[in-house]
Formats: sequence, C-alpha cells, structure tokens
Amino acid sequence: MLTTIEKIIFIVLAITAAGFTFHGFKVIIDSIRKGRPAPELKDVPGSLVKAAIAVLFQQTIFKARKVLSAIHMGLFFGLITYAVVNLVDVLEGLVPGFELVYGGVHLPNAPTGLINAFNLIADVMSGFLLIAITTFLVRRFIVKDKALTFRDNVLLNPKVKAGGQARDSLTVGVFVIMHVGARLMSQAFRLTEGADPFMPIASFLNSIFGASETGVHVAWWISLGWVMFIIPYLSRSKHTHFFMSPVNLGLAKQNPRGQLDPAIPLKVIEGQKYDPGAKVIYDLAWTRVMDAYACVQCNRCQDVCPANFYQRPLSPSALEVNKRYLLKEATFGSHPEKLLLPLTETVISPEAVWSCTTCYACVRVCPVGNEPMADIVDIRRRMLIDGYEIDSGVQNALQSLATNGNWMSKGKRLRGRWAKEMEFPVKNATEEPVEHLWFVGDTASFDERVIPNTKMVARLFNQGGLDFGIMYQNESNSGNDVRRVGEEGLFEQLVEQNMAAFGKAQFKQIVTTDPHSFNTLKNEYPQFGGTFEVKHYTVTLLKLIEEGKLTIKNKLSNYKVTFHDPCYLGRYNGGFTAPRKLLELLGVEFVEMPRNCENSFCCGAGGGQIWMGKVAPGERPAENRIKEALTTFGEGANAKTQLFIVTCPKDMVMYSDAVKTTGNEGKIEVRDIIQLVAEAVGVEMPLEAEAVAA
Amino acid sequence: MNIVVAIKHIPSIADDLPVKGNNVDFDSVDFVLNEWDEHSIEQAVLIKEAVGGTVTVIGVDLIGELDNALHLALAKGADKVVKITADDPAADSHMQAKWLSEAIKGMGADMVFAGVQASNDLDGQIGPMIAAYLDMPYIGGVSSIEANGDSATVNKEFAGGAGAKYSVHMPFVAGVQSAPKPPRYAPVSKVRQMAQSATVEKVAPSGDASSGLAFKKMAPPVVTGHAEMIEGSSKEVAAKIVELLKSKGLA
Ligand SMILES: Cc1cc2nc3c(=O)[nH]c(=O)nc-3n(C[C@H](O)[C@H](O)[C@H](O)COP(=O)(O)OP(=O)(O)OC[C@H]3O[C@@H](n4cnc5c(N)ncnc54)[C@H](O)[C@@H]3O)c2cc1C
Ligand code: SF4
Ligand code: SF4
Repeated sequence: MLTTIEKIIFIVLAITAAGFTFHGFKVIIDSIRKGRPAPELKDVPGSLVKAAIAVLFQQTIFKARKVLSAIHMGLFFGLITYAVVNLVDVLEGLVPGFELVYGGVHLPNAPTGLINAFNLIADVMSGFLLIAITTFLVRRFIVKDKALTFRDNVLLNPKVKAGGQARDSLTVGVFVIMHVGARLMSQAFRLTEGADPFMPIASFLNSIFGASETGVHVAWWISLGWVMFIIPYLSRSKHTHFFMSPVNLGLAKQNPRGQLDPAIPLKVIEGQKYDPGAKVIYDLAWTRVMDAYACVQCNRCQDVCPANFYQRPLSPSALEVNKRYLLKEATFGSHPEKLLLPLTETVISPEAVWSCTTCYACVRVCPVGNEPMADIVDIRRRMLIDGYEIDSGVQNALQSLATNGNWMSKGKRLRGRWAKEMEFPVKNATEEPVEHLWFVGDTASFDERVIPNTKMVARLFNQGGLDFGIMYQNESNSGNDVRRVGEEGLFEQLVEQNMAAFGKAQFKQIVTTDPHSFNTLKNEYPQFGGTFEVKHYTVTLLKLIEEGKLTIKNKLSNYKVTFHDPCYLGRYNGGFTAPRKLLELLGVEFVEMPRNCENSFCCGAGGGQIWMGKVAPGERPAENRIKEALTTFGEGANAKTQLFIVTCPKDMVMYSDAVKTTGNEGKIEVRDIIQLVAEAVGVEMPLEAEAVAA
Repeated sequence: MNIVVAIKHIPSIADDLPVKGNNVDFDSVDFVLNEWDEHSIEQAVLIKEAVGGTVTVIGVDLIGELDNALHLALAKGADKVVKITADDPAADSHMQAKWLSEAIKGMGADMVFAGVQASNDLDGQIGPMIAAYLDMPYIGGVSSIEANGDSATVNKEFAGGAGAKYSVHMPFVAGVQSAPKPPRYAPVSKVRQMAQSATVEKVAPSGDASSGLAFKKMAPPVVTGHAEMIEGSSKEVAAKIVELLKSKGLA
C-alpha cells in the first residue's frame, strides 16, 4: 500500500524509535541496578510466570475499585489485541496487496473465517478502547476524581505539582484516541465495496466518509506514525508501567509480610560499605528503586492509608511518584546531582515519615507489588542514625526500652506484678518447664486499663487446664514496633535479651496476647535463631473450647458485635478466622464492618504512633473506625448491647478512647474478646476480682 | 574549647525503691544517669558542634556499672570518658564533689558542667562544690550557654519565670538546668559500637570530704489520704471548691 518513499520514511522512523526506546530502557535498568542488594529472590522464572498470569487476568487490581478495575481490564485486553492489530497494519503498509477487508478477498488462499474473526475483534475492540480511554480521561479531567489528587500538605516534586501526571495521562489518552480512531478510519477508507459485516464500526464510518485511497494513506500514517513517537515516550512517562509492572510483580517481596528487610543488606557487594537505612534514593534496595518505574500512580495506596485519612502529610503514592520524577530528572534530565539529595527533601517530608503506622495497607493494595512502607522504615532508620530530632514521646519510649525493656518507664521487676496478684500461682517459665510460654507484652503487663483482661486470659488458661507460664522480669518488649520506628540496634538488643530468656525456659510453643509481638516472634525472630511455634491467644482459646476443655455455658445472644482485625494479626498474618469462629461459638449476633480482614482499617497506633508525644488535630483513624462500626450496626434503637470486639491490648486503649472522644459512650462498648469468652464460659472469679465487664 | 561534664549515677525509680536498713537497698536497684546530666551533655556537645573543642565526660562509678552511661555519652558526641572507681554506692554529694574536682583539676577545663541537681538527694551542691574546690566561679540554673572566645553568654533562670543573661569569663562551672534543645537520642547501634571500641579512662578516687550528715531512717512514704475528685460541670466544681475553702476557714 505504501509508496517506496513512504516505506523508507517508515523504516527510518521505526529504527530511530527502536533506538530511543532501547536507550530509554537501558537508562531505566541502569538506574534500577544502582539500588542496594535486595533480599534474595527464589525461583525468579516461576514468579515471573505467576506474575504474567496475574497480569493477564488483571487479578491484582481487583483488590479495590471494582468498576474502574473492570474498565482497566478491558483497556488492557484492548491494548494487547492492538499489539497484534498494529503488526497486521504494518504488514498492510509494507506488503503490496496485503489487505484484510472483506475477509481478505483479494488474497490468494485467504483463510476467510479467521480473517473475518480478526476483523470483528479488531473493530469492536477499537470501539471499546475509545470508550474506555474516554472514561478515564473524563474521570481525570472532567469529573476530577479526588482520588487522583494529593493533599496540600504532602511533599510533591515541583513537576508533579505543576500537573506533570495529568499531562502524561492526556498525552497517552490523546495518543490512544488518535491511534485507534485513525486505525478505524484507515479501515473505513479501504471499504471500496460498501459495508463489511465483520467491521461494523468501520462500515458505519465508511457510510459517512466513503472510501478514499488518499484517506487510507493519511489515516495509516496518523495511526502508525504516531506509534513511532509514542513508544520512546512511554519509557519516559508514567506509562512505563505497561512494561515494568509485570516485571515488578514478578520480582516482588517473597519473604513473609511481617518480616522487614534488614537495615543493611545481608548480602553485600564486595568492597561496598553500607550505612543502615536510606538517605538517598540509591540507598533503597534495587527492587524498591524499580517500584518507582512500576508505579501506575493510581493512588489506591493513598486511599487506604490511615495516616493520609488523618490529614497527615503522608501519601504512599506521592512517595512513589516523587521517586519516579526524581529519577527522571536525574537520569533522563540534566540533574544527576539531585540523586544525592536526602529523600526527606525530595520524596517525603520528615513529618510524613513519622506519620506512618506501618499498617501494610498500602503494600497489600498495590496492584504492582510496590512497598512504599518499606522505604519509609528505611528512611526512619537513617534519620535515627543521623541524629534527626525525633518526637519526644518516641524518644522517651525508646530510652525506656533501652534501659527497662519496656516503653512505659516501668522497672523490669514490675512486669509480672499482675501475676503475683492472681488467686493461683502463675508459673515462671524461666524456672520450670511449661507447655505454653505466654509472651504477655508491655501494654498487657503494665497498663492498668488492660491488666484486668490480662488476668482474665490467665484465669481462662488456668480453667482450661493449659500448662502455661510467663517469663516475669526476663521478658522484654518483643521489638516489633521498635524495628518499625527504625531503631534497628535497639530491636537487635531486645531480640538478644528475649532470646537469652527463651534460652533459660523450657516450652513447646509461645502464645501471645499482643499481635505486634506475635508478628515479630513469628516472622523475624527466626532470622535470629528463634524458630518457635507462635500462636495468638485467639487460636489457643478456640482450641480449648473445641477440645471441650472450656465449655460455653451461656450463649451471649444479647450482644450485637462487630470485630476489628488488628493489622499485625490480620493483614500481616492472616489470622482472620479464629476470632470470628470464637464469636460464632459464643452465640453473639455478628455483623461485619465494610472494611474487614485484608482491608481492615488501622487503629492508628502501630509503627510507634502510640508513643508520639504530639497528637495531631483532625479525625483520628480510631474515631473513624468507631463511626464505621456504628453505621454498620445501623440507626435506630437496638435492644441488644452493641460491642466493638478487639483482640489486641493496644486496640483496647485506642478504641476505648475513641468511643469517648466521639461522644458515643452508651451506644457502643469496646471489649476484648477475652471478656466475652469469660462471660460465656463462666469464669470462676475470686470475690474481689476486677469488674472487667464494667 | 575544653569542656568537662560531671555526671552522676543514681538509683532508678522506675521500680518501687527498695529500702534496706537506713538507706536504699543498692543491691536490688538499677542505676541510671541523672536526668539533668543528659542536658549538660547535650549543652556541651552543642557548644562543641558550634565552635569546636573536646568534651570529656567524667563520673563516679558507684556500683561498677557506669560504663553504660559513659558509652551513651560517647554515642551522643563526647570525645573522652573517665570514671572514678569508687565502688561505694552510698557516697554522698560532698564526697563525690571532692573526688570529681581532684580528677578534673589537671584537665585544663575551660568550662565544667554539672546537672543543676540530681533527683536522688535533690541536693544541688555538686556543681558549687566543684567550683569551690577548683576555685572557679559558679553559675547555676542555667538554660543555655554560648561560647565566644574566652567568655560565654549564659542564660540563667530565676524563680517566677524571670531570666537573666550573663557574660561569664572562663574557666567557670555551670549547673545546667536544661539544654537549649532536648537531649538527643543515641541509637543503640552507636552505643554498642562505642562499647566495643572506646576506652574508658580509670582514675582512683582521691581526697576525702563529708557533708557531716548521717542517715537515721529511710522509709517509703506512708499514704495518709486520697485526693478527692470533684465531679460535675466546671461551674459546679468551682462552687464546691469555694464551699470547701470556706468550710476550712480559708476563704
Ligand atoms: C533545678 C532546681 C529546681 C528547683 N525547683 C524548685 C521548685 O519547683 N519549687 C521550689 O520551691 N523550689 C525549687 N528549687 C529551689 C529553689 O528555687 C531555690 O533553690 C531556693 O529557694 C534557694 O534560692 P536560690 O537558689 O536562689 O539560692 P540563693 O539565692 O543562692 O540563696 C541561698 C541562701 O543564701 C542566703 N541568702 C541569699 N541571699 C540572701 C539575702 N539577700 N539575704 C539573706 N540571706 C540570703 C539564704 O540563706 C538563701 O537561702 C529548685 C532548685 C533547683 C536548683
Ligand atoms: S503502611 Fe499504612 S500508614 Fe504507612 S504509608 Fe502504608 S498505608 Fe500509610
Ligand atoms: S504504589 Fe501501587 S497503589 Fe500506590 S499509586 Fe503506585 S501503583 Fe498505585
């Protein structure tokens, strides 16, 4: 179809485009390789195949925004189809006489059926692509979906602030419309013999514009000439995600969710010296440098971020977007010196760094396997080493942890005081063998508001005949949140102290009341030689009931309850079923909040937030969660007592407070699941026992 | 600039304070760094960062566990640490002040800092006594020090929120009440690094002094009454308070 001159121009253009594209990806790959070594990945080919399948079926995007995800899925299939369509179009241009309209009538031995099918798919897909891309453009530019914007207090690269992302979207959107539109027109102009039933849209256009030899040429050039410019452009725009997302997904974190990468790479490159954590962008593991290129800039992570909800200047997506723009300015642009600027000036503000609750929601929801949270922890690590002035509350907590082994400035010897007040002896696991070593945790050991529940756990364990003991003053804080605050040295010190204590004890498994301790004991202590079986008390209680060691005497049908999944039990460790099963056995009326299980909303206490001396204004995540529970219970008088059930000592504190601050006392009560189990089982209480339920 | 910081190890009150005989049961109590000493270390390091110099931290090792506090000081920016190996947990402020001044004497200090007081005995005299022994001027209740040449600009706080700015000639001794910035956090990895690499200079205690006071008895405070919380709106609470004051003949 093309004239010789046209062919030469096209081939020169194609080679140039290939050159630019190759250069683009080389720059990207070189930049990714400058990142630090990442934890070793196993079976990379296998993971890449799995990722390819996930991408093909668009599995990961359906974790949120179902309708838009469906449209994206269509867009994705459309573009995949279009890769084939484009190839055929190039052949139509370059091979004389090669034309597929009317089932390829002019071709010798044409497989007419196949060609008709192809034409139909290409034609209909074109229409769909136009609709889908228009939807996305309308969403961004006309409806101005808030989800695509950032809070004013979030640090943004100046280019992002100036609308760089919108320009990217518009460029690619307009390209797709031109490309697909022109392709439809070029087919329409070919229909010299009237409508082709297998090309309904092209036929319709043909009925308006008629056929035209010149038209075919012009439309062909608009459709495919464009491609030669847009492909090199893609590597320099946010649409690099077309190529990088599947790769990133294939090379995503393989370790358990609850295991942070070490502050210094375990496997170091010969001759390289590493300071802990990250100051500049290439201090991040290469997998997380790659995150920036894979990021779709969809803001799904921002949607689920409790800190962002709380109007803190934190947006996990802004972090990735800023990383991307920084890399672009430095590698494609003329500002390589920017690579040496601290991340706290270029990608995330210090205040934002210290607002993260390490709830993992951003990582969980990200469709391309990005880990903004891991970057934040690495940045905290270096800020601590570099002597950045941290919040006084966090500092007090850390200092107390270093000297007392707990964050509450209590003496070590006071840790087991509650146990000494019990009506039966609580074994010291470091002195006599026990089956279950109960790792109590700081809040449950020291906080006067929580101790009644701690005692109730002990009573139920005792009544169920569980052979258990605690470590009294030998227990130290597990270090879960210390590590997430970025104090890796203190974390290691606490691990050593606890490992020494475990060494003195004889036990079969560990049971914890605190999901945070549960997480690090289960997922991180193995790296320090502590491979224990670790259970959360909800699992232990369920087992005692299922084995008939505790019998439910009173069904609690007078309660209507909902359950909050603690991040470190649920999202991190999949502990969704035991608490729900328990509630079912207790006979309460159970309703599920909209944000549950994987999608649970953080109480706002994790990652050291509970230690913060300064409390920011605005609706706190825990307050929002209480409102969510009340909405779930529904308006109107309820004959039943409405309960908000927690399985984490920190939650007890956070939510009891939130019920008060939102003025909802009397409408909803916060209870630890242990209180309900105790009520249903009928705990033999000593006369002077605490009025737990009060 | 040569700054010497005297620090004090004191019984921790994170636990209930155990009493044995007529004093604290030193065997079953943890020792921690006096809170005000964190401020004097911070103040010293801030001056060093501003004008250069060396910071030497010195303390009396009462129970053989002072190293932790000294390593912490190094991690915060001190250059040299010294401990006076006394091994006498009951040594009083006068005794400690004497030992400290004997050790500091030969150090050629431009400034000597002490915490304005320590929360074990609330005596507040170590600073003034060191100054007396070294024959240097003393300024207490200090909230910031800026070194300029051979003198320093010192802010001193007075009761009632008043403050005064002094120009003090070196050498002098200051009782630091607070540093201009909160004491910095020393990451544990740095402290541990110091514990492995740094050397703590040891000095034998020399000299003798005594306050002349002896403990007769020490006992935990006896709970005699409870605070009464008045419930109600602020108006109601105010009215009840007035009523109470009147009933006690105070208004
Ligand atoms: C860190 C710190 C915190 C403190 N916190 C408190 C607190 O919260 N509440 C509280 O009540 N106290 C507190 N004090 C104690 C109190 O503020 C003073 O130390 C105390 O009142 C003595 O006053 P001064 O330090 O100004 O001593 P100075 O003025 O040096 O006086 C010392 C003594 O010298 C004599 N003297 C001085 N001037 C005269 C004079 N003109 N005529 C006659 N005799 C004189 C008096 O015997 C006087 O007691 C604190 C002290 C310190 C160091
Ligand atoms: S871990 Fe949670 S708080 Fe932190 S950035 Fe991610 S979503 Fe936000
Ligand atoms: S990090 Fe993931 S979820 Fe967040 S904007 Fe990028 S692609 Fe979307």
